[in-house]
This record gives sequence, structure tokens and C-alpha cells, in this order.
Amino acid sequence: MPQPANMINVGFLSEAEQSFILEVLRRDEALRQAEEQRVRKLKTELLDIKRKGAKRGSGRYSEHSCGRCQEPLSRLSISSSQCQMCNHRVCRSCRTGLPGGSWLCSVCAKESDLKKMTGEWFYDQKVNRFSTMPGHDLVKVSLKKDPQSKKRETAGEMLLKSAEIKPDHPTPVPRARPKNPTENKGHQSNSSGSIASRESFESKEDVGSKPTHSDTESMENASISTKIDTESRHVTPEPPRRGVQPRHSSPDGSNVSSLTVPVKANTVMNDTTNTGANTATEVKPANPDLEVDRLFKKSIKRSPRPPGYVSSLDLRDGLGASEASMGNRSRSVPGLDVQEDGEEDEDIDSLVNFHKKTLASSSSNLQGSQSTLGSMMSIYSEAGDFDSAEVSGDIVFSLGYVEHTQSLQVFIKQCHGLAYGDTPRQLSNPYVKCYLLPDKSRQSKKKTSIKRNTVNPVYNETLKYSIGRSQLFTRSLLISVWHHGRLSKNTFLGEVEIPLDSRDLSSPYEERMALLPKASYAVPASSFVQNKGELVICLKYIPPKKPAAEKVKGKKDAAEEGGELHVLIKEAKNLSAMKPGDTSDSFVKGYLFPTKAKTTKRKTPVVKKNLNPHYDHTMVYKDLTLEQLKGMCLELTVWDKEAMSSNEFLGGVRLSSGKGTVKIGKEDVEMDSVGEEVSLWQKMMQYPDSWAEGTLPLRASMEKSKDK
Amino acid sequence: MTDGDYDYLIKLLALGDSGVGKTTFLYRYTDNKFNPKFITTVGIDFREKRVVYTQTNPNGTTTGKTFKVHLQLWDTAGQERFRSLTTAFFRDAMGFLLMFDLTSQQSFLNVRNWMSQLQANAYCENPDIVLVGNKADLADQREVQEKQAKELADKYGIPYFETSAATGAEVDKSVITLLDLVMKRMEQCVDKPPADSANGNGATKLTDSQSSEKKCAC
Repeated sequence: MPQPANMINVGFLSEAEQSFILEVLRRDEALRQAEEQRVRKLKTELLDIKRKGAKRGSGRYSEHSCGRCQEPLSRLSISSSQCQMCNHRVCRSCRTGLPGGSWLCSVCAKESDLKKMTGEWFYDQKVNRFSTMPGHDLVKVSLKKDPQSKKRETAGEMLLKSAEIKPDHPTPVPRARPKNPTENKGHQSNSSGSIASRESFESKEDVGSKPTHSDTESMENASISTKIDTESRHVTPEPPRRGVQPRHSSPDGSNVSSLTVPVKANTVMNDTTNTGANTATEVKPANPDLEVDRLFKKSIKRSPRPPGYVSSLDLRDGLGASEASMGNRSRSVPGLDVQEDGEEDEDIDSLVNFHKKTLASSSSNLQGSQSTLGSMMSIYSEAGDFDSAEVSGDIVFSLGYVEHTQSLQVFIKQCHGLAYGDTPRQLSNPYVKCYLLPDKSRQSKKKTSIKRNTVNPVYNETLKYSIGRSQLFTRSLLISVWHHGRLSKNTFLGEVEIPLDSRDLSSPYEERMALLPKASYAVPASSFVQNKGELVICLKYIPPKKPAAEKVKGKKDAAEEGGELHVLIKEAKNLSAMKPGDTSDSFVKGYLFPTKAKTTKRKTPVVKKNLNPHYDHTMVYKDLTLEQLKGMCLELTVWDKEAMSSNEFLGGVRLSSGKGTVKIGKEDVEMDSVGEEVSLWQKMMQYPDSWAEGTLPLRASMEKSKDK
Repeated sequence: MTDGDYDYLIKLLALGDSGVGKTTFLYRYTDNKFNPKFITTVGIDFREKRVVYTQTNPNGTTTGKTFKVHLQLWDTAGQERFRSLTTAFFRDAMGFLLMFDLTSQQSFLNVRNWMSQLQANAYCENPDIVLVGNKADLADQREVQEKQAKELADKYGIPYFETSAATGAEVDKSVITLLDLVMKRMEQCVDKPPADSANGNGATKLTDSQSSEKKCAC
């Protein structure tokens, strides 16, 4: 039976076994981290290649030049010079041969290389298989997290995470936890618990528990510890949690205290093995249910539950909490991807998205577009209730604009008196991150280095944004401070937002600002309903040839043969800038709903570096009758082509009669076209054989209103 | 070992009954040593090894390209009590060494069960597997005949090797064969031409100078 890895029950293992496995998992962790770094590096390489040369759609480029290096192509080779992946015509030197004699253009080849070298090919398949699993779904739901972000998660990783929640730092004297104002919200305990264990993991690493040893050694180790563990079991039928009285009450007292009495039987074992043994000893052996809970939960708050509660459920629950380390931000904003939490995964996610886009069918593309919307908003999702960090301290920085490099320079000097990202351990590994809002894309994200173990980090680092000066006035700089959670979860330590419209950037001056909690400003949807620009299109319906006379309604005949709908995408105006240098590489994607299979997706070429791109591209849909068109809906969306990640949504329009519903995917969606979207559609149907031209404002969101 | 200076990280996993020699097999493979003591594996473990992989054309000739491959070889406990734990790791492996003991008929009979465990828990339903009959050196205790095992392997369409962790015979070869299968699958996964480029099939025409729509991979 397939069993989701996140439901692995290790309750049956002895403490020694657990700690042994933990050790293995940590070695795995180290390997994974090296792998992640490598993947990141690979990604950068591809970006570099992509940026070199490559046809700019905007410029006049001819069919007779190479799509990559722009060198002219010889006439003879034109027909055979098309890359089978991207269809660009490329010269010989921009090709990479594949085993088997075929070739791809250098970029496509690199892309597929990357897919191999990063292991994406594997994770893609894995995800396909396991995403349909009920258990997995449950977890997904409970996490309210994009499943994609967990695509790379391995069983080992999950197990390790869950193991880390074990209270593992034997502190002889109960140490009072710094008071947390949000304790009563209950969730707080999760995160601090996880941080605690994370921290101790770190410290252990520092002590230098060596990551590898021979099998024999480790085996022997294990057998020794097994013995000890039996002893310790006998020795310690002690009352649970005699170490500490939790300062905050939890509903059913299942909080595992992270501070416990050291168990003497363990002294032979090394620090690491302590971990497991300690945990178990504080658990009443009589209560196996609880034992499992404790192994897998951080000291998580639980609402009172009926007795006989199944432990595997608990596990999931606990994991849920551990995934969403910053407590329940992710829960409080259901459906929105929690970007910060997934930060370490971000690159991989985008890779995933990217590849999804590359190979996906039209329907999944559509989903892709929705998820992009989701992630665009993710930064704002953080505005949701955020009850874990007690923000304190301030940040010293200065802002200046350097004319000759056309860049905004953010000098992060230092922070003072930061909160402890790891409350129980009184530790912070802070780094500073900036976004140049409203751009929340990767290009906009800049980070300083991470300073270890300090609440008064000194950075003296400059983060640079290439941006035209005039553009700055519509921007604001969001500077946030984060505790780097070694094992992927980061803790928010405070932020400041500096609107740049009223700031004198010509003479940088040092400024000290108090850090604030997550902005509680309710970011209303309206802030997104900004001007996204316009799309100029022409529509023409060409009735079937035979009954040329029937001008207005040729229902019957048309039904037999069907006419064509031509959609000329002329241009877009005032698109949002998504790329550095205030530009976007845009293209338009069209779908005609209800869609028959994958046949209705159309795309224009990408027009690069232009916020007012001329596409002049016609999409043709065949075999349509006027009658059918009445019930159809044409969706055109504009996207910023992103080399290595999901394309950024720039806006869209939905053309239809504005009445009734249409099937999109499996859902009946209201045709919510308004104004020009409706009138243009009608004009097209009214006057076949002639172009109906219109300029449509782009929607900021293609959110579909479901018909109930 | 974990410095990231490699081209591919390939994760393989050894599975099979307790005592068939998974751990010693891997130990032989990574360290070229033999440890005759039987120490049962606690749940899971892994070993690592760097190898150089030479890419080959579909027809078997080498392309001359070589890659540095970092192998992560997961070792699983054969014992039943660890089953839920070990099967959870199946999904993270790209290829499998399904092992049995040539001196134990029972371990061979259980190959079937392990196969179904794999089919249920691996990343896909037909992952790359190599069937390995271990302890070939103990000829006098042999209970499973080569023909028998070969037939089973053929039934599953997977390669079969008779190895000896004690002598090292065929150990490298079986792992490399598996690696080759995985690498081939990878190539196939990625390089197969975009089968369903959604906007193809000529329905899209152009009215302007650009004479063909760019089937851009986006």
C-alpha cells in the first residue's frame, strides 16, 4: 500500500534506533543541501546563456538570421535550421548535438540538460504519481501550500523535519522561555519548538558529529545504544515532563516541553543520540499514542480531542505545523502560497513551474496562470495574521541613487536588538531582504548575507536595483529582517517600508528605523486593481464560403461546415514592467472556451523589452459557427516571458457575450465579460467578414467566478 | 564527498529480504571491502560514491561525453518491522537493486513481493530495477538456480546479475547497469520531442510577415 512518507510511523522504533536513523537523515540533509546549491548554480548558468544574443522580438529580425547569435544564416540552411524545441532558426554554432544525431539550439539544449542535471525529470514524475494520493492530498489541504513546493521533498527530509520537533536539548535547569505576547494564540509554540530543535541540531553539527562512518562502526554503535536504551527505559518510568511547567497552558497539556532532565543512561552516547533517548524517556511508555505524538509533533497546541484519536492523524497534523514553520500564516491565508516559508524551495519551484509551462498541455497552463496570480499576491498574504514574531530592534540603512549606473543602492549597515528568531535558544541568524515594491518577483528580491548568532548584526552590504530614476517614484522599498532557519524555515523579525516617492535619493543619509511587525495594513484587492495597460485587438468572423449571401445569420449552413474566427492581436499598451530596466518581454496567449482538448491555445511570439509591444499576430480558430460563438468565451492573457521560472502575468481580457456560463476545464464559469469585452465580441458576430477593432483594458486578475 | 562538484546526483536504493547482503554489497561497491559479519541495518542508511559515466548513443557507441555522477545508494532494512519506514524511501530513488540471496529460496520467492512493493511505492509504476542474486561465491549452498532467476528477471523485463559481495564479482557491473538504465530513462524523459505542442497542427495562420508561429517552449 502506498504510504505517504509524511505519515511514516516511527513510534515503533527504539530511541537508539531513532537516533541512528536521525544521524543518517542528517547526512542525507547535508547531501541535499549541497545538491540544492548545485542546482541553483546551474540555474544561473542557463540564465546567462539565455541573455546572450537571442532574438529580440521587438527589433526587426529576419528569418535569415540566427535566433541566438543574430548572425545571418545562409540561404541554403534556412529550411533545416529550425530548432525542434523552440522553432527558432539558429546557425550551426548555436546548436548542440544530441546523441542520435539530432540537435537543439543552445538554449533549449541547456534547458533540457538542466532538467536532467537538476533531477527535475525525476521529481516531475514523482509528483505526478503521488499528487493523487489521498494522504498527500490531506497534507496538502492541511498545509494550504502549493504542492509544487514540496515536489523535491524526500521521505528523509520529511522524517528529519518531523524528528527535529523532538525536544532534544537536555538542559538541566528549566529556563524560562522569553515571554511571547502571542502565546495565547497557541500556534506560537509550534514555531518556537521547531526553532529550538533546529538550533540544537546546529549546535550539534558544530560539535562535529561526523557525517560519515563506516557501516560496521555505525552498526556497532547502534547495537550499543540499543542496550542502553533498554536500560534507560527501565530507569525512567518517571512522571512526564518533570522538567518544566509550561508557562502557557495548552488545552490538553500535550505540549512537549523542550527542556528536560538529562537522562543519565545516555551519557555514553554522543550528543546526537541523546536526542532520541531523551524524548522518549519523558514520554509515558504506557501511552503509545502520545508517544508517537511527541515524536512527531513540535510542542503543538492541540484542540481537545476525543480519546482514541489515531496517532497517524496526529502525525500529519504535527507535520502540518512543522511545514508551516512560522506558525500559521499559511493557514490564516488559505490558498495562498507562503512565499517566505518556501523560500529555500523557491528556485526549485520556479524551475518546476517553468518546466510545467514548457511541456504542459493547455489546460495545465491555465492552472499555471492561476497559480502565478496566487504567488504574486503571496507577499501580501503575509499581511495576514502573524503571531509568532515579537518584533524588536531597529535597522540602520541608507538609500541613494547612482545616476551613471542608473541604480538604486540600498546600503544595509546593521541592525540592533533584533528579536530572537529562535526564542528558546535566544539566538538569531539574521539576514536582510529587500523588495522593490510593487515588484515582488525574484528580480526584486535582494538579500544580504546571513550573520550567525547575533541580534546585532553588522552587514555593511549594498543591494543594487537597476531602475530608471523616474520609475522610482512609484515604488517603495520593503526591507525585512529574517532569521535564517537552518532547516529551511525562516522567521520573520521585522520590516520597514520606505516609499520612494517623497525621498531625497541624491544624498544618501544614514537612517535608523524601528522594525515593525508585519504590516497590518489590510492590503485591499483594490491596490491590485491598478492600471495594467491595454490590449488592442481585432476580431473577424469568416463565415463558411458556400453561403456567401447570408450575411447576418447563416446558422444551418454554417453548422455543416463552420467558419473561422480570426483574432488579430495588434499591440499592447502600457504593460507593467517586470524585468530590470523597467521592461517586459511579453507575449499573448489565447484560449477559446469551451475548449476542445488542447486545440484552442494560441500564442504570439514574445516581444522583448517593450512595454508597448506590437505583436501583429493573428490567431485563427476554425470550424466555428456563429451559434457556437455566442456561447463561447475568448480569453487573452498577456505574460512576461520568464526564462527560468513561471511567466509573470501582466493582464488579460475575457471576450464573450457576457451572459451565461462556459465550461472551462471541469467548471462552469460565468462569462463575466464587461463593457468593450462584450461589445467587441458582439460586433464581431454582427458583422462577419469585417474586422472589429477594440482597445480593451487589461484585467489585473483572471479570477473566475464560479457559477454556483 | 558532498561538495556539489558533480553533474548528476543519482539516487539508487537496494532492497530485498533481511540478510541477503544489501549492506555488504553496497559496502563492497563503495569501499571495495567485504565485511562478513551480519549486522542488521537499522531502518535505513546510505552510502555514496562518485563515478564517471560515459554517455552512449542509442546504438551503444559512446558519444565521448563523460559526466561525473554522484551516487547516493540507499540501503534499507530487510526486516519486516522496518517496512513502513523503508518503503517510504522507495519514492525518492531513481533506480533499484532488488536483491535476493542465492543460498535462500525464500528470499528469491519474496522477490515477487518486493516487486509489488516497488510498483506501489516507487516514483513510477515501472521504475528501473536490476535483479541481483547475491552470495554467488557460496556455490555449495546454492538454492536458486541461475535459470530460475533469469526467467523471473525476463518476466519483469529487467537485467539479472549474480554477484558476490565477498569476491566482488559482478557488483560493479550490476550497479553500473542500473545507473545506465536510469541515465537512459532520464534522456528519454527530457529529450523526447515535445509530443503535444499544444499550438501546433497548423490551425494558426499569420497575416503578416512572420510566416510561422514560434512554438516557443513557454
